Amino acid sequence: MALSIEELEAAIIEKAKKSPKPQLYIKDFYACDPDAKPREIKKVANALVTKGELMFWSSGSTTMYARPDRIQNDD
Amino acid sequence: MAKHETPLLDELEKGPWPSFVTDLKQQAETKPECWDILGQLELSYVDRITHWKHGGIVGVFGYGGGIVGRYSDVPDKFPGVEHFHTVRIAQPSGLYYSTENLRALMDLWEKYGSGVTNMHGSTGDMIFLGTRTENLEPLFWDLTHDLNQDLGGSGSNLRTPACCLGESRCEWACYDAQEICNALTQHYQDEIHRPAFPYKFKFKFSACPNDCVAAIARSDFAVIGTWKDDIRIDQAAVKQYMAGAEGYPANGGSHKGGNWGAFDIQKEVVDLCPTNCMWMEGDELKIDNSECTRCMHCINVMPRALRPGVEKGASICIGAKAPILDGAQFATLVIPFIEVSAEDEFGEVIDVIEKVWDWWMEVGKNRERVGETMQRIGLPTFLSVMEVEPIPQHVKEPRSNPYVFWKEEEVPGGWERDVVEFRKKHAA
Repeated sequence: MALSIEELEAAIIEKAKKSPKPQLYIKDFYACDPDAKPREIKKVANALVTKGELMFWSSGSTTMYARPDRIQNDD
Repeated sequence: MAKHETPLLDELEKGPWPSFVTDLKQQAETKPECWDILGQLELSYVDRITHWKHGGIVGVFGYGGGIVGRYSDVPDKFPGVEHFHTVRIAQPSGLYYSTENLRALMDLWEKYGSGVTNMHGSTGDMIFLGTRTENLEPLFWDLTHDLNQDLGGSGSNLRTPACCLGESRCEWACYDAQEICNALTQHYQDEIHRPAFPYKFKFKFSACPNDCVAAIARSDFAVIGTWKDDIRIDQAAVKQYMAGAEGYPANGGSHKGGNWGAFDIQKEVVDLCPTNCMWMEGDELKIDNSECTRCMHCINVMPRALRPGVEKGASICIGAKAPILDGAQFATLVIPFIEVSAEDEFGEVIDVIEKVWDWWMEVGKNRERVGETMQRIGLPTFLSVMEVEPIPQHVKEPRSNPYVFWKEEEVPGGWERDVVEFRKKHAA
């Protein structure tokens, strides 16, 4: 990893805020730190869900990530 | 009394077979939302399009799988199915339930959901069909605290590992499928409950080549029991089968009572061997074990005479999938034999799994199963990643591309050359 955990978290949040589509695949975050292994990115992205910075959106077959303020529940 | 007219669905109640329409009508007597399932489905039949909205952000805290959001796109007409989420409950290894546990699960689902279930989904989970968002957390609390059970996998997660009955009931089991299924379920809790991959990933464990969980067709990572040495033959029992002796019915007696005539070992066993590796010498059955392809037919027909060998383990086949993209495909045999041992906590199998994951997470496209990545990138590259030497059986068809692309390590001297020496003979 070229970035620290905190820097990677910030880069992922930034990506989730600015991406044209609100829902992102885990692979979309790989570019946040091209030197990081996919599993490291996955762990940081999932930790951001626990912190409430991101949330999961699931179709049932695929899971995507989104900023809570950019996506609406159907409830 | 029916809440909606359902003439099209009512057609599905005719005939001698069981009908889900009848079942839902019965369930609607205590769970009125089931009328709205029927009403919405009738409307879908009329409109010829689904009225379910697929997916959503529902789930339980800390988990990124196990709940699949389902919402009606006509909630004003059918308020009972405005929310109708699916809950996946991890199944016990080999699908062994106690009746006490099944009753407790059904009580839980009557309390928090529609009471409608699917036993089981194709991953193996028990599927609870239909609940509202506000019921999810209480259901999850009771499931995990009172019943000590867990949700299964969904989305881009590792799906709930599934296995056959294995050594618990089957004499052909070549490894303990239930033990490894449970061990890897515990080992990969994070991957089961939170998304990790470009798309879904399934393990299935069949303890012998009969492959009772259809691992070779339905899982990205199929661990199928096999043996290294020779099929064990009891020639005295072979003779008993040939003589039609009491206690030696062909196929374990499964065709008993049929008009099949006397057992004919040549016709029913030897001639049906797909690799022609069997023959009779007098009344002795001979097998060229090096040609055996583990079809299990002979063992299935004469279980008291033939048994798997004693050096047991598993083959690993990778990349099966259903036909969403390029059509359905079976898994490809990648590791012909591997030890499956609890003594090293299944370390050899875990090493193979993680090699596959590391590669697939890196090069797999979004929503691409590992079998599709293998197909796109090519088996030679995949075998090289897996550090497996190709064998003739890996070759699907004679090549049609005349070019050979050498790797540097395959060429004497590699790609490096002395440019000064080269220029002495070749002008720039």
